[in-house]
Amino acid sequence: MSTLKIQKLKNKIMEYPGIRFLMFCLVFLDIFLFSEMAFSDLTIKVNHDRIKINFVYHGSSVSVSGVADSGTDLVIKIASPESHQTLRKKGKAAGFLWMNIGELKLEHASNLYFLHSTRKLDDILNSDEMDKFLIGYPSMERHVEITPVDNENDESKWFNEFVKYKESSKLYDISSGKISVTDKDGKQNFYIQVDWPYQAPPGDYLVTVYVVKDKRVIDKAEKNVLAEEVGIVKALSDMANNKGALYGMISVIAALGTGFGVGMIFGKGTGAH
Amino acid sequence: MYIYLPVALTSIKVLLPIGLGLLVGLLSGLFGVGGGFLLTPLLIMFGIPPTVAAATDSNQIVAASTSGTYAHWKLGNVDFKMGLYLLIGGFAGGLMGVQAIKVLRATGNADFVIKMTYVLMLGIVGTYMFIESISSMKGKKSEEAKAGKESKTGNFLKSLPFQTRFEKSGVTHSALLPIIFGGFVGVLAAIMGVGGGFLMVPVMIYILRMPMHVVVGTSLFQILFTCIEVTFLQAYTNHTVDFVLAVLLLAGSTIGAQIGTVFGRKLKGEQLKVFLAVIVIAVTIKMIFDLTLSPSILLSQSGGH
Repeated sequence: MSTLKIQKLKNKIMEYPGIRFLMFCLVFLDIFLFSEMAFSDLTIKVNHDRIKINFVYHGSSVSVSGVADSGTDLVIKIASPESHQTLRKKGKAAGFLWMNIGELKLEHASNLYFLHSTRKLDDILNSDEMDKFLIGYPSMERHVEITPVDNENDESKWFNEFVKYKESSKLYDISSGKISVTDKDGKQNFYIQVDWPYQAPPGDYLVTVYVVKDKRVIDKAEKNVLAEEVGIVKALSDMANNKGALYGMISVIAALGTGFGVGMIFGKGTGAH
Repeated sequence: MYIYLPVALTSIKVLLPIGLGLLVGLLSGLFGVGGGFLLTPLLIMFGIPPTVAAATDSNQIVAASTSGTYAHWKLGNVDFKMGLYLLIGGFAGGLMGVQAIKVLRATGNADFVIKMTYVLMLGIVGTYMFIESISSMKGKKSEEAKAGKESKTGNFLKSLPFQTRFEKSGVTHSALLPIIFGGFVGVLAAIMGVGGGFLMVPVMIYILRMPMHVVVGTSLFQILFTCIEVTFLQAYTNHTVDFVLAVLLLAGSTIGAQIGTVFGRKLKGEQLKVFLAVIVIAVTIKMIFDLTLSPSILLSQSGGH
């Protein structure tokens, strides 16, 4: 069985509540008895964790800072909850014409995924750990379910296209070396400022900082970021979604009114006949 | 200055939609087309989701065509009777077109048919209008041959029942004629997802033989009603009308429509036809490029549900 299929089987098994509870107990035990997490010292702070989307909103910035043990590496992940996504596929029809040839459906894929690390991921983490914490595109590829695909090559091709599409929309980004780190009293202070794209829709986002040593994650901490619509933006968006008929009528009446208004102003201005 | 669009969920420079609106409004006042075939692709290019672009465009056309109809009505250029018959046909055709799309979607060929219809209709209409108006500008050389052909078609059209006089256009036709051709345009417009002005205008010029200036006013009157219906349905069922974007677009387009009407009075019918033909051909060529050049990204935002 391929690693891809194993991963998918894992996802399916994880959907049963009993299994989830068992896994939770094991992870709990693992953390307290065997891991080195208890020895790490990590505090994080997220600046600007409530992004207000108002009428003149054009994106924002979010900074993540904190203190971790010296001699460790850091990985900072900002992601939206996993969801179902549908995109349109372009392909060749009749041999030479590029057009939409159907839909591509993705399960367990985040709409936004930013990953910043102190050094290159492959140099600081082994692949099991990356899979466990969903760090990096290869782990995400093993985690996400894509349909319809013919075979693994096809799946891989469409996953790459998906990343390309998300990166062009500024919703996916992976970098290394952008986190600034300063040593102080046997600890290290870290800081990164991330541009928050206006393309990111309103919703909840999770910031996770992983402390990495000897190719393993030894500690992690999480904070939430909420992007929410406020004021006129919120009022209009609520109305469009919940009071469609009224919203439609207002849209039509406003357009008619403006059309007549401008027509009359110009009619007077040019003196008509 | 940037503004956030609450339904499109994206941010856009304020001047961009105003400028685009001005351009499309100008075309609307000049030629009596809604401009959906131009504006919707432009909005998508600037990052507006496809469904929001199409729905908001129709909201904007309501304003531009109101402004344009008003200006043309003041000039005495709207044939309300003809407009009404075309509307009846267009409405019935639209319903049929929507059903046709449902069947095509089920068989999985919708996109191919839509794109091909688009390219063929634009290409044929543009080329025909271009050749016809250039040759009539040069002088009416084949007048005799034309006259012979026309009288044959004319005799057939006159033999149809329900003959009625359209005062404003100065023509007499069977009432069936605008209803049938209105229906034909309605089917195609629904399949292509556009208002159909660029198809209705040639039908009025070449088949209904209406004078160019009455064509523009009447077409705008007809488009106005189609787009009111579409805007309401899109807002009600799909929640895809972005009011803020529509306001920015119509701020430009209502003024553009007035300027277009003024310019239109200064241009001859033939000149107007050549301009429209050139724009339609340009859009066709752009579509052919899009269809044949390899795209850099193979995925795009879904049409939504």
